[in-house]
Amino acid sequence: MNIFKKHMTLYLMIAPVAIYFLLFAYYPLARGLMISFQEFRIIGDNTYIGLQNYITVLSDPVFWRVLVNTLLIGGGILLIGFSFPILVAISLNEVLKVSFKKFTQMVIYLPHLFSWVIIGGIWIYLLSPDGGLVNEIIKVFGGEPIHFFTQEKYAKPLMVFTAIWKDVGFLCILYLAAIVGISPTLYEAAKIDGATRWQEIRHILIPQLYPTMKVVFLLNLLGVLKIFDQIFIMRNPTIAREVDVLMVYTYEKGILEFDMGVATAASFFVIFATLILTLIARKLLRFDEEA
Amino acid sequence: MRKDTRFKYLIIAILVGLIMILAACNDEGTDNEGEATEGDKSLRILSNVVGGKTPEENELFVEEIERLTDIKVELVKPPADYDQKLLTAMSSGEKFDLVLLTKNLMDILVDQGVLTEISDQIAESDILSDTTVIPEKEWDLIEYEDGNYYGVFNKFEGGTMPIVRQDWMEKLNLQQPETLEDFYNVFKAFKEQDPDGNGKDDTYGLSTAGLYDIQGFLSAEGVKYKYVYNEEGERTIPIASEAAVPVLEWFAKLYEEGLLDPNFATNETSQMRELFLTDRVGMVTYWDAWVGLFNNIRLEDDPNTEFKAKGIPGAVGPEGDIILRRGDPSLWAIPVNAESPGVAKEFLEFWHSEKGNVLSTLGIEGHDYTLTDGKYELTEIGKEHSMDHGVVVPNNTNWENPIGSLPGVEEAQEIILEHATLETSTEDWPEAEKIVQNYAFKAMMGEIPAKEAVNKMHEELMDAGLIDY
Amino acid sequence: MQKWKQWSKKYKTFYVLNIVFLILLVATMIVPLLNTLTVSLSSNIASMQSGIKIIPTEISFEGYVTIWQKMNLWLPFYNNVLVTVIGTFFHVLLSALAGYVLIQKGLPGKRLMMSLILLTMMIPGEAIMIPLYIVNKDLGLLNTLASLVIHGLVSGFSVLLLRNFFMNISYELAESARMDGANDFKILFNIYLPLAKPGLATVTLFEFVSRWNQFTPALLYINDSTKYTLQIALRSMILSNDATSSSDFITPNVRMAGIMIAILPLIVIYPFAQKYFVKGIMLGSTKE
Repeated sequence: MNIFKKHMTLYLMIAPVAIYFLLFAYYPLARGLMISFQEFRIIGDNTYIGLQNYITVLSDPVFWRVLVNTLLIGGGILLIGFSFPILVAISLNEVLKVSFKKFTQMVIYLPHLFSWVIIGGIWIYLLSPDGGLVNEIIKVFGGEPIHFFTQEKYAKPLMVFTAIWKDVGFLCILYLAAIVGISPTLYEAAKIDGATRWQEIRHILIPQLYPTMKVVFLLNLLGVLKIFDQIFIMRNPTIAREVDVLMVYTYEKGILEFDMGVATAASFFVIFATLILTLIARKLLRFDEEA
Repeated sequence: MRKDTRFKYLIIAILVGLIMILAACNDEGTDNEGEATEGDKSLRILSNVVGGKTPEENELFVEEIERLTDIKVELVKPPADYDQKLLTAMSSGEKFDLVLLTKNLMDILVDQGVLTEISDQIAESDILSDTTVIPEKEWDLIEYEDGNYYGVFNKFEGGTMPIVRQDWMEKLNLQQPETLEDFYNVFKAFKEQDPDGNGKDDTYGLSTAGLYDIQGFLSAEGVKYKYVYNEEGERTIPIASEAAVPVLEWFAKLYEEGLLDPNFATNETSQMRELFLTDRVGMVTYWDAWVGLFNNIRLEDDPNTEFKAKGIPGAVGPEGDIILRRGDPSLWAIPVNAESPGVAKEFLEFWHSEKGNVLSTLGIEGHDYTLTDGKYELTEIGKEHSMDHGVVVPNNTNWENPIGSLPGVEEAQEIILEHATLETSTEDWPEAEKIVQNYAFKAMMGEIPAKEAVNKMHEELMDAGLIDY
Repeated sequence: MQKWKQWSKKYKTFYVLNIVFLILLVATMIVPLLNTLTVSLSSNIASMQSGIKIIPTEISFEGYVTIWQKMNLWLPFYNNVLVTVIGTFFHVLLSALAGYVLIQKGLPGKRLMMSLILLTMMIPGEAIMIPLYIVNKDLGLLNTLASLVIHGLVSGFSVLLLRNFFMNISYELAESARMDGANDFKILFNIYLPLAKPGLATVTLFEFVSRWNQFTPALLYINDSTKYTLQIALRSMILSNDATSSSDFITPNVRMAGIMIAILPLIVIYPFAQKYFVKGIMLGSTKE
């Protein structure tokens, strides 16, 4: 008990957070778990039906299709969305003109301020074959307008692209904060050794970003199977099969078909899959090692 | 180290215990919401379209109901995501006396045993059982297999139809199209003969918002877009048959030749409406009531405009029939846990009375309209609200809108009444629709031959058990 | 420009390409914003016409006037500010507390706490939508602005980010303060928070934005229109209601005006936040 007493203040500090999560995350989660074992009705008693909802989900071919979509789109967002901001951050760090740097930093954060309703609308409009900016440019160069949002081959890349486009500025700022925090003494030492700029980036800057990279990767990983708003806004029936993801599936089951039992069971698969991915990632990244 | 592990287990044990206790305690916990005092009639309503156009007007709307009926109303009107709100609130034990639903949602809720069966109440009510208020034929649309009723209409539902720029038709000397070939020629003329006279090749013949709603063209082959039942009670979706091939091929031709708005697959209805209003497209498929609204919007902008929208019947089928689509009924229903179902019934009677008709269309007296010596006049706000506060046309056949309808609407409504049939949408339609849309779009955009598309569509629907033949 | 001469040819090429790359990136981000602004400033009919609209040619405030006339936006605006500011403040405070606890060495149960916090980030909203509503109902939070402050009072995301920023601060500093008799609260507020300003700025900005844009909880928990937040009030204007025969007609300029009103405060605040943020970085970088 001594050890507990010694850390009393610390436990006190985290207590509000613990209470919050208990009440607003774990308790609802436990009740959600119960719903997933029930035949759900909006009013009245729900009867327990064991694993039936889970079996329904697993035997639904649509579920497997959306799972594959989720992994492909999520994987794309995870990998490119992880590395692209690093590139931009380094590239921005190279710029000497402070005003340009500040301006760029500000502007690339802008898409992050918009909700997906707005971003989706903007891109559908920009890529429209009727008067959309991108196709107008293609026409100027003598090309045929491309129907971006109705062709299956563009569907997944488009989702990955827009997701990255929206968040690059935000993630970039995380990296910039880390870059600026690098001690100048490290560079000076390299200068003395006659290192080129490229060598400096390669051997000093990037290694210093590892802790931030780990966190960003983990943060992205935890959210990647939950993507919903974006897809929901930007999908249309012609590409639905290519882009519908797990959470769109649960939305359709739960809110359109009012079958919360099945919807909740499906969302527990999301939790479960994320859990596995995270465990693997934590092992691989050795995330828990003290920095 | 060992101490650490032991501690960990202790925490886990406490956590699990706590959660279990919390979860168990509250499983039954549904407490009462409404604190209606004796003799005070109060009503809690969940609605999406019925009510004021803004939160402020909503309050006036509630006051107006109270003034007219002595019922105290709490009107919950979420601005978006209505189904989500309804699902969450009602599942959590919140009680409403009346909820506004679509037929599709009502099917689901009846299935879950959530709605009060109200056949007797309807039969007992002088107003609701009056067939001049709600005609027999309308009631048939919402009768369930056991002969019971679970809801009462909110309004008379219009339908969707092709709406054409009549002024362009006249300018280019075109006849009202009847066959797909005619429609094609009209579109071609709209596209190529610069009907808006701006000297630019920027007009399309037709725009739709996805497959919403191509029924008027499928009509050419007598094919329906949604479920139909045969005499044995088996169901199918006719668009998934070879009969639909000519129509899909016709669409592919329109798309290929640029007569169809290339954005049709991604359009929201708002985009389609905008194209129509800005001289970009000569025909859209939309609600009958919108014929009037289109005309009105352009008239308000410019009183001398030549713009003239007109609703026309769809393509004539092989037997000379035309099939158009009636809108899904919107309905009032009483949940089984309602606290004052009696008051709810009273409200429904009011809703279908003359006073209710005026409130649900024109709006609030003194705000949307003024009444002097029995003469109704719309205020500026009232004009903006286009005589729609949840109802465009009431069911009540005895009532006539004192202001009159917008230009072109009556004509359009007659066509709908003559040709439109209600969809027998079933619970499975949302599932089936995804399959139908996937292949229909592919065929319409020329990615695969129409014949292959309908065959695959049919096969997939059969495999998923969504159709019987 | 002196430096320019010293650079190798290779680096010069790289530098120019780099600038071009950044300019292109900036362009893709600024065009949509200009487009929204331009449409919001056009007249009803003009806003529906096609064509590329990036620079306003004729300015009309029809859209803004319509939206302010239709909706009394002051109250929703005030509610939004209230919920966002209070919510963000407590969010950052609680996340900082948790982040601080999670960097302590030799604290029993630390890894477990960490795992439990991570786990909360995996929960999709829908899995707990109904139970969460019930919790709010049982606590009497329904139809109160407090429910919106409490929703997301702390998040694994922020805890994790702040923990990461705290980890970069040298532990010895804290140890020596502890030797001088400072308790954990003092150490956190006097040593860690000032040094982690970039981190705090990042998390604050992030939380502020997401709270400002918060929609679903407000939709679910609030019934009373006097408690509407901006997003709720604007939603019916921004989104068109599909598939009903309803006669609402909202022109694009009104929609875009709604969008501009919703994001304008963020855009106005952002440069200030960034200024502070850059300062924070400077302070952080001189720590050693």
